[in-house]
Amino acid sequence: MLKPERLIVDGKRLDGRKADELRPIKIEADFLKRADGSCYLEMGKNKVVAAVYGPREAHPRHIQDPVKAVIRYRYNMAPFSVEERKRPGPDRRSVEISKVSKEAFEAVIMKELFPRSVIDIFVEVLQADAGSRTACINAASVALVDAGIPMKGILTSVAVAKVEGTLVLDPMKEEDNFGEADMPFAFLIRGGKIESIALLQMDGRMSKEEIKEAIKLAKKGAMEIYKLQREAIMKKFLEEEENE
Amino acid sequence: MSEDVLSEVKKDYVLSKLKEGERIDGRKVDEFRRIEIKTGVIDKAEGSALVRLGNTQVVVGIKMQPGEPFPDTPDKGVIIVNAELVPLASPTFEPGPPDENSIELARVVDRGIRESEAVDLSKLCIEEGKKVWIVFVDIHALDDDGNLLDASAIASICALMNTKVPASRFGAGEDFDLPVNDVPVSVTSLIVGDKFLIDPSRDEMSVGERTITISVNKNDEIVAIQKSGDYLLSEALFEELLDKSIVAGRKIREEILRQCSKSC
Amino acid sequence: MRRIVLPGDFLSSNPKVAGYGTYVEGDKVYAKILGLFDETDNSIRVIPLKGKYVPSVGDTIIGIVREVSANGWTLDINSPYQAFLPMLENPETKPGKKINDVLDMGDAVIAKVVNIDPRMRVTVTMKDKTCRAIRFGRIVAINPARVPRVIGKKGSMIKLIKSELDVQIVVGQNGLIWLNGDRKKVSLAEEVIYLIEEEAHTEGLTDRVAEFVRRRKNAQT
Repeated sequence: MLKPERLIVDGKRLDGRKADELRPIKIEADFLKRADGSCYLEMGKNKVVAAVYGPREAHPRHIQDPVKAVIRYRYNMAPFSVEERKRPGPDRRSVEISKVSKEAFEAVIMKELFPRSVIDIFVEVLQADAGSRTACINAASVALVDAGIPMKGILTSVAVAKVEGTLVLDPMKEEDNFGEADMPFAFLIRGGKIESIALLQMDGRMSKEEIKEAIKLAKKGAMEIYKLQREAIMKKFLEEEENE
Repeated sequence: MSEDVLSEVKKDYVLSKLKEGERIDGRKVDEFRRIEIKTGVIDKAEGSALVRLGNTQVVVGIKMQPGEPFPDTPDKGVIIVNAELVPLASPTFEPGPPDENSIELARVVDRGIRESEAVDLSKLCIEEGKKVWIVFVDIHALDDDGNLLDASAIASICALMNTKVPASRFGAGEDFDLPVNDVPVSVTSLIVGDKFLIDPSRDEMSVGERTITISVNKNDEIVAIQKSGDYLLSEALFEELLDKSIVAGRKIREEILRQCSKSC
Repeated sequence: MRRIVLPGDFLSSNPKVAGYGTYVEGDKVYAKILGLFDETDNSIRVIPLKGKYVPSVGDTIIGIVREVSANGWTLDINSPYQAFLPMLENPETKPGKKINDVLDMGDAVIAKVVNIDPRMRVTVTMKDKTCRAIRFGRIVAINPARVPRVIGKKGSMIKLIKSELDVQIVVGQNGLIWLNGDRKKVSLAEEVIYLIEEEAHTEGLTDRVAEFVRRRKNAQT
């Protein structure tokens, strides 16, 4: 990819957005039949599908935890999801993303209610375009609710990048590649408010003040996404009612 | 595992209905479930298709790049079919490299495309002996409600029909439509004793993983056959299935062309 | 239509009323699952719309034998947890009779949950009048979260099915239901059950079900 001359011109980003605007989002809950819970989600050009299986029996036996459920998260990219075909199978980046995402959900799922079992979260990236990990967490969140898994609240994820000195919400590909810093977040939302941070990473160079500003910006974006997650779940049940 | 309980329960139901020549979802024994095809769903890919066959869902993405030809066909492009039966699609799929089922599925789909010569590989030469187009057909299962194979075959040919060769990106001329001359269709049947059920659903498969797949081209020629499972097949049943598969294949081909002509 | 709530939704600032499907943190009551908000005078609960079956002592369940061992049978009960039926808890056990002649792999039984240990090891018994080995009839599977609806308030729905359709019916809390009777009636009962499952969270269901049954019975005759 060639670096564009300017990434922000007159407060407008390459795709016309303002600094604090999200890309278009589309969410559909209960998208799959076999999975216990599922979600199809688009965030900009990202297209992801999440499925939850569980709680279910943990196999092999030795992975069982006698007092709580084991949570597993698998982030996987389809070979056709990126510009240059990606060989199937986990790479180091996928493994890291899977780990931090799993840990975010471990903090909110009520694991103690299901000793000796496993809750599997699988997310497939069908098309990737910066922020696929945040799209996946948003989809996984909806899938977990759809599966009836007890949780403290809902996780909502969004990233902030620093581009030509400006903080931008929900970075696109060029901003992710050529910006000065990238910071993905996932927040626990409870009682309709953002309560705490479940996932946090940063890659680049930022001052303390910039980080505080980034958190504010991310929270704004997260609340907008949270509303869409709720709508998607409600829609499924209202749909059922309309069909009667 | 709780999956087993439900499948046990369904098995009896399927068998009792079958005794009366009926299926649990009301279909005829030689009827496919409803097919829904959407092409161009992955715009970053060179071609793509999402297919729903009943509740079974699969997405196929086509990626192309220049590469070396096989030594015995220096002027022909190369097709590589791979299937990922990802754990998302079924409680019984495990993460890891392709197992025997993924590999069999990919190879049978590949056979249908290859032997029908659906893609004119001679048009995919860039520099004879040195550079040809490699066409990656990546099958990604999303929801296994039975017969992922036929769903994958439909999605693969639709994705190919939807494909544009990205020549300009690699300095090899102008982009052009991938030349596709045939629509091979695979028809998979569940075998139960001396009876068959075309396009078995997951519930029907609870009776046993015993199938036969017959792939047909537009001239009603058989281009691939795959018997799969631990059973003995009678000649009479096989011959009956050849006829039924040709007929079913024609119907599916019509449906594919009807739905794809809108978007290919 | 009852209000749908999601995990983390604030329900009340009175921890004393926290009921099923809720949890307390600090002095606030929140929903912990997706479900229907239900409020009575002294309790708030969330009725689940989905979720796996987790056994409770006293539940009637239908299970399928997965393993036969010297002292009993391990049952699959459509749950993340299996159940164990000790040999002596099966009234059909007789000295001298081989254990797999009493019950073998794949056999189905109606049993009752009598004990669950802290590690969720579940023990069941067949020494109860509702329990039996299932040797005829049909088993139907539904989403366990919808079982209360199939049973109905004070068993009203089950009574309706029994009386209108003249079939034997035993509803397992784990989503498996045993039906026995005339083939056509059993088929109709099955359709009724799926109807209830789909429309579980709507109002006026009992009347709609009664109407559905009447229409179909008239069509059949």
